[in-house]
Amino acid sequence: MKLSMPAIANPRSRLQGFSLNNRRSRTLLLIALCLVVLGVLLLGTYLIGQAGLDIALSSRNQPPSFAHPFGTDWLGRDMFSRTLHGLSLSLWIGLLTASVSAVIALAIGTLSATLGGKVDAAITWLIDVALSLPHLVLIILVAFAAGGGVRGLLLAIIITHWMSLARLLRAEVLQLKSSDYVQLSSKLGRSPLWIARHHLLPHLLPQFLVGLILLFPHAILHEAGLTFLGLGLPPEIPAIGIILSESMRYLSAGYWWLAVLPGVVLLMAVQAFDILGQSVRALLDPKTSQG
Amino acid sequence: MRQIGEGKRPKSKNRNLLITLPVFLLGLSACSRSLLQDSSMTEATIKFKDQIVVDLGWEEYGFFQRGFDPTQGWSWNSYSDPLFQSRLFRRDAERGLINDLAESYRLSRDRKVWTVAIRRNVRFSDGSPLTARDVAYTFNTYRPEIDRYFLDRAIATGDYEVQFHLKQPDITFVDRMASVGIVPKHAHNENYARNPVGSGPYKLVQWNEGEQLVIEANPTYYGQSPKIKRVVFLFTQGDAAFAAAKGGYTHVAKIPQTLAEQPVAGMQLHQIKSFDHTTLLFPFIPYTGKQNAQGYEIGNNVLSDRAIRQAINYTIDRRVLVGAILWGYGSPVYGFPSGPPFQKPAPAIQDADREHAQQILLKAGWQDTNGNGMIDKQGVEGEFNLLYFASLPEQQGFALAITQMLRPLGIKVNAQGSSWEKMKHRTHRDAWLYPLVTRPQDLYSLYRSPTGLADGRLNYSAYANFTVDQRLDQAMNAPSELDASQFWQQAQWDGRTGIGVRGDAASAWLVNHHDLYLVNQCLDLGRAGKPSTGYQGPLLSNITNWEWICK
Repeated sequence: MKLSMPAIANPRSRLQGFSLNNRRSRTLLLIALCLVVLGVLLLGTYLIGQAGLDIALSSRNQPPSFAHPFGTDWLGRDMFSRTLHGLSLSLWIGLLTASVSAVIALAIGTLSATLGGKVDAAITWLIDVALSLPHLVLIILVAFAAGGGVRGLLLAIIITHWMSLARLLRAEVLQLKSSDYVQLSSKLGRSPLWIARHHLLPHLLPQFLVGLILLFPHAILHEAGLTFLGLGLPPEIPAIGIILSESMRYLSAGYWWLAVLPGVVLLMAVQAFDILGQSVRALLDPKTSQG
Repeated sequence: MRQIGEGKRPKSKNRNLLITLPVFLLGLSACSRSLLQDSSMTEATIKFKDQIVVDLGWEEYGFFQRGFDPTQGWSWNSYSDPLFQSRLFRRDAERGLINDLAESYRLSRDRKVWTVAIRRNVRFSDGSPLTARDVAYTFNTYRPEIDRYFLDRAIATGDYEVQFHLKQPDITFVDRMASVGIVPKHAHNENYARNPVGSGPYKLVQWNEGEQLVIEANPTYYGQSPKIKRVVFLFTQGDAAFAAAKGGYTHVAKIPQTLAEQPVAGMQLHQIKSFDHTTLLFPFIPYTGKQNAQGYEIGNNVLSDRAIRQAINYTIDRRVLVGAILWGYGSPVYGFPSGPPFQKPAPAIQDADREHAQQILLKAGWQDTNGNGMIDKQGVEGEFNLLYFASLPEQQGFALAITQMLRPLGIKVNAQGSSWEKMKHRTHRDAWLYPLVTRPQDLYSLYRSPTGLADGRLNYSAYANFTVDQRLDQAMNAPSELDASQFWQQAQWDGRTGIGVRGDAASAWLVNHHDLYLVNQCLDLGRAGKPSTGYQGPLLSNITNWEWICK
């Protein structure tokens, strides 16, 4: 009888296992790439500093060049610097608003499903009402009611982005509640909040993370949209919405670079977040994470 | 769109695109909307010599949107021609006063009663005669929203004579008489603004709110009948006015400065000096710990120092502001703008002179004692906020340019975009850029000391100078505009004090904006394409003289 030698771990096996034919590896690679892109955008302002944000009236409206890869605007500001600063700001706002929104969604979704009864009915009704309203109109109304500016912007995005995730998490909790171990825990006399804390939240975490990541692009675009419409950040701040809004005045004059290049970078950032969210979901979802 | 974490991936892409696309397309669609709607104004309709199409652009629509009732403020471009109504007086090309409805006038010795004799045989467009009762009714009904108004009452002392009794002498009342259109008492009701009846050169034919306005020559007009019998006004948004002009849909089109360099076949560029100015207003009083009702501090320990205000005036390069921010379509101003030909403009100063500004600051004790790059004096750092209207891009340009110009001087400026609703509570604390249409009475309104004045468009800086007050009051008490002129000038600088740069430097006047129009080469507007040094008047001020010159 031959005994086969146990396989000795090859130091290169991990790398060999990392093949682009492997779906899991591809996902991990995508995540890494997205994180690098987003990291650069988030930290871009620290890398390039304030250079280029000052006006330079002698070099206005210059097309893209080596000195100014994205050209300059009507006040001679470097559009690459402005775009990077603007996107960085948008991403930070996106992070903040999406995080707060997601936490609100987690709390309300969990409470709704756990407490049930009238609380559940009230929250469900509230979510249905909010979702039945046109999304962008609701955001504009909230921003306007809050007085516009940074406060209005943050409130509008936070208040209008928790509902979908809350509904999803509520459904997840309802499903978990019917599982055997939760039923058993309940029969053993554990309080609903104890069950929520020890049994439900750990299971909700993957959904929560994916939902949080997928909220980012929405938050970023709505920040840009509100600022574009003049309800967001003040114009001296280099925000993407402001850059795009300003560029509208110069399209007919032929200054295409003012809108196109920042717009493309915004799309790239939003798409990166989208890919990141989908990839994380693919990894965490038992149905897709095998490979 | 709202199903986070659900659905297939392509849907997610679509969701993002659904949100992203409006951001890009909003402006474009806004630009094109009006143009598409207005394209119904086909070329066929504008070929007639007697009809022209004038695209004033969306910005001008603010003057039209409330309708055409002079008692509610209607007159194009704030105090220009009301078109549908006639006025007691008009301004000629030199801004001198000429009779319109009025035949003669006199001012009482106490300067408080104006008596005006009006024309006979003037009829409104509905055929009814215009009498002194209509004039008195108009002025008694007229109540400006934001201006001071000294009229106590107007009385018809005969069919063709009216008396205006003022609460106090006000020579600028002449300007009211030259701007307020007379409405018929019998036909003035809540619908009047939308169905105006007047005795002006034109009558309203059609008004599609927010889109277009059609006017035709009034056959009962007593003056020179307009040579252009029918005018269609468009109010397109964004760059649509330029596109419409390029496409041959309009004969006159107001265009933004950014497009002025682009030639359009068959049209020439007209640059018209407007009454629009931008000035930098400073809070005049020091901070003493007081706050206003809204909780904002009152006073500013940096800007209340005359040396700082003078240094700012001498440092700002107004020609750069005109060249870079206004694309060259404007002119620098150094003090309250000149008005009538007999009123000389404020003397020009040698600006962009940093050395002179530094000497002024040094002499006043402002220097960088702590090495932080900012000048200071008795513990007060040379720093202030500069507010500007966030909705006006050129104001942002001015604010950022001024910020940069003052930095080498050691003055730190924090430019902040805002709205009037917020800014109006901070005018006694922060400097702010004021875009305004200047009128003779503004010199009084802006600089007369605030004692006893109500809220409104008045002395925002809380400026106070007893001598200047005296000069302003003397001007208001003058028997004529010509006599008032010397006092207006002395208020700016009388050799010892004044609001001008050599005196208190109460403000930093910056630029005069020019309006740009593309005009069909076959249309004679009766004025030069380039702005003259004198007064030309707003575009429509001589519309009755416009003429089609091509065969």
